[in-house]
Amino acid sequence: MSFQTLINGISTGTVYALIAIGFALVFNILKFSNFSYGATMTASAFIAYFLVASKGWGLFPTLVCSATAGALISIIGEYVGFRRILKNHSPSTYFFVSSITLGTLYEGIVTLKAGTNFYVYPNFFKESSVDILGAVVSKENIIMLVISVAALVVLALIIQKTSIGRAIRAVSFDRDTAQLMGINATLIIQVVFVISGIFGGLAGCFLGIKYTLTSTLGSLVVKGFIASVIGGLGSLTGAVIGAMLLGILEAFFLSTIGSGWATIASFAVMLVFLLVRPQGIAGSNVQEKA
Amino acid sequence: MALLEINHIKKNFGGIKAIADFSLKAEKGEIHGIIGPNGAGKTTIFNTISGVYQADSGTVILDGEDITRLPQYKITRKGIGRTFQNIRIFKGLTIEENVLCAFDPKSNYSVLGGLFPTPNRMKEEKRGRRLAEEYLDVVGMADKKDERPENLSYGNQRKIEIARALMCQPKVLLLDEPAAGLTPTEVGELTELIRRISKEFGFAILLIEHRLDLVMSISDLIHVQNFGETIAVGSADEVQHDKAVIEAYLGAEK
Amino acid sequence: MRLFLYVLTQVCITLVSVCGIYILTGLTGMFSLGSAAFMAIGAYVSGLLVLKLGMNMYLAFLLAIIAAVAVGYVIGFPVVRLRRDYISLVTLGFGESIAQLILLLSQYTGGAFGLIGVPRKVNVGFTVIAAALAIALTALFKTSKYGRQCIAIKSDELAAKAMGINTSKVKMIAFLLSCGLTAFAGCMYAFYVGYVGPTDFGWKKSADWVIMVFFGGVNSLTGSIFGGAFLTFLPQYMQSLNKYRYIVYAVLVLFILNFKPNGIFGEWELTPRNMKKALKKFDRKMRKEGGK
Repeated sequence: MSFQTLINGISTGTVYALIAIGFALVFNILKFSNFSYGATMTASAFIAYFLVASKGWGLFPTLVCSATAGALISIIGEYVGFRRILKNHSPSTYFFVSSITLGTLYEGIVTLKAGTNFYVYPNFFKESSVDILGAVVSKENIIMLVISVAALVVLALIIQKTSIGRAIRAVSFDRDTAQLMGINATLIIQVVFVISGIFGGLAGCFLGIKYTLTSTLGSLVVKGFIASVIGGLGSLTGAVIGAMLLGILEAFFLSTIGSGWATIASFAVMLVFLLVRPQGIAGSNVQEKA
Repeated sequence: MALLEINHIKKNFGGIKAIADFSLKAEKGEIHGIIGPNGAGKTTIFNTISGVYQADSGTVILDGEDITRLPQYKITRKGIGRTFQNIRIFKGLTIEENVLCAFDPKSNYSVLGGLFPTPNRMKEEKRGRRLAEEYLDVVGMADKKDERPENLSYGNQRKIEIARALMCQPKVLLLDEPAAGLTPTEVGELTELIRRISKEFGFAILLIEHRLDLVMSISDLIHVQNFGETIAVGSADEVQHDKAVIEAYLGAEK
Repeated sequence: MRLFLYVLTQVCITLVSVCGIYILTGLTGMFSLGSAAFMAIGAYVSGLLVLKLGMNMYLAFLLAIIAAVAVGYVIGFPVVRLRRDYISLVTLGFGESIAQLILLLSQYTGGAFGLIGVPRKVNVGFTVIAAALAIALTALFKTSKYGRQCIAIKSDELAAKAMGINTSKVKMIAFLLSCGLTAFAGCMYAFYVGYVGPTDFGWKKSADWVIMVFFGGVNSLTGSIFGGAFLTFLPQYMQSLNKYRYIVYAVLVLFILNFKPNGIFGEWELTPRNMKKALKKFDRKMRKEGGK
């Protein structure tokens, strides 16, 4: 594998890491796979496109708008889709259906506005690439890498060092007990959805820049899911490791067997992983209680 | 060789010793009580015997056969039946169907019979329903077999769980706090029921319970657990006068 | 009338796959976002066998279903022993992969243009019989030991294992049945429409089926069938609605999930016994009103 491939892989991997983290956060706290996440990414990327990017503003306002939109959509989703189900103590299947229904809803609304057309974010930088040790890297990729890493570091600090982070960990570990200890679980769940939405918004915008903006952009969320499974479902560290691995693997497949087969190959890798090490690299922390 | 032999099982959860070292020998028809304060690792013992968790070390021998590392469903089929501390009845099934679920793994028809009403399926279904009725009758719930278990009282739900465990046709029955949440009358009925099935079916019963009156009155042998350790084993009388037990557990009741 | 027959065929084809989803989701509590990919396998395999090899249509259907079940086994094998979340994640990835594969194998599948010229040999009668058969089989499955074990797994997988249920095996059986049924729906679809396109089988289609099952009542086959029929009929007759279809569905289902979580039918099934009960109730009510 060449140095160029490695660099490409890492830059894709960081975007996948954003997706995987946003997904894993919600999985951790409510123990279900949030399938509305893909459509949240799409919707916020579109909102940022129409409100900011198409008006000729730069990358940073677009990102801020996308992240804000993601946070808003995510928290509305929590309120409409999950709050009542949680209160009713409905089985976990209801979370699932609710999340895919929300996904269909968001995607439906986006399709209504954007149709099946392709949209392209404007070029945010004049000189598009730089040379690093002989590898050609686009400036956008570097910016994405830096912002993604920054976002991940900030999140890690929040979770490890702040009282909100402690509360998030407590509620993820055992919601009922955390509540007895005086933690407002509803609030913490909202916070988690906001953070997850921010990551979704950033990821959506980045994906829109990397590829093109379509109403089915959200299907790229699969990459985040695969990364989560490889890394260990529910583990945040695992999600990042899995995402980087997947990014590099895909870049390698891309340079050897082409983009179509790369999708299939990475799916096959996930299947093999489930077969050999179902708990993922970092070890899934989901265990049922008897 | 005893019917059930548990030899030095250990189980750690992230550095916490849930079971430090637990051993037990039980014969047919015996009732063993396991008592101890909350967090003493009692339910973990059951979970390890029945295969929900894998023991870190030690063995569980049932009828001369090592079942320690078998998957959970196989352990049940070998003859370990159990109930749960927090009732786990299947929602969406009637009482009769709940009990039938424990028969279904043994029911002898293939997927073909699952899709078509083959004579074999009819025969097996009939056999299952007859057995279900029999076991529901043992716990006194046969007349309610078409009702939904969700609508029953706590005490009656416990009885359904016991009937379901009987349907597994166990050699060893594990009862995890069967009296929790019951009214005093219901506790009396339950004590009677446990005594009766112990005699009628001749299996060994392991019983975790907080109601000491119940445990003391029906157990042949009592194991006292504290922080994963067994601190005393003996008859009700011996245990009640054991110094360590009084300190750790009964002392708190004075 | 022609529109009605067309819609009826659509409904019947959908009902066959809804039966599959009911077994998977309604009975066993597993979700697949790649069910439509198995429909694609059914449609493409049967279409290709007839077009390229000139095979008998019924034999082609059978082989296509077998192929889908075999693929289902490979996909299902690693995940049935794990938490039920995994099957959703894996099937979603599988759906994407199949979509890619169809495009990559364009020399056989026609790629983005789709498979053209499949003989239109499936008519209304065939689909009606197929749907009736699928519903009957599903109902029989539900009341068998497998159906009970599926419901037990949905309700409490750990307790199910403690009753001696081999949960991996039962989950696999439910998954494979569902694969077979959706593949069969795909076969009929190809030979009714006469064309198979690569974009017809995205995750939205799978999500659509899950929504239908939940709309009528996830615990009731009657409800699922009703949901499938109703939500297929409705947009066909209200073309103006078609644009808003997904939005309307989503809002409807969100309302149901929040305020009537068991769907319209709850656990009620259309059996002779329940019919009699309902009739009696109705009769009593009428007499009461008459007595006033």
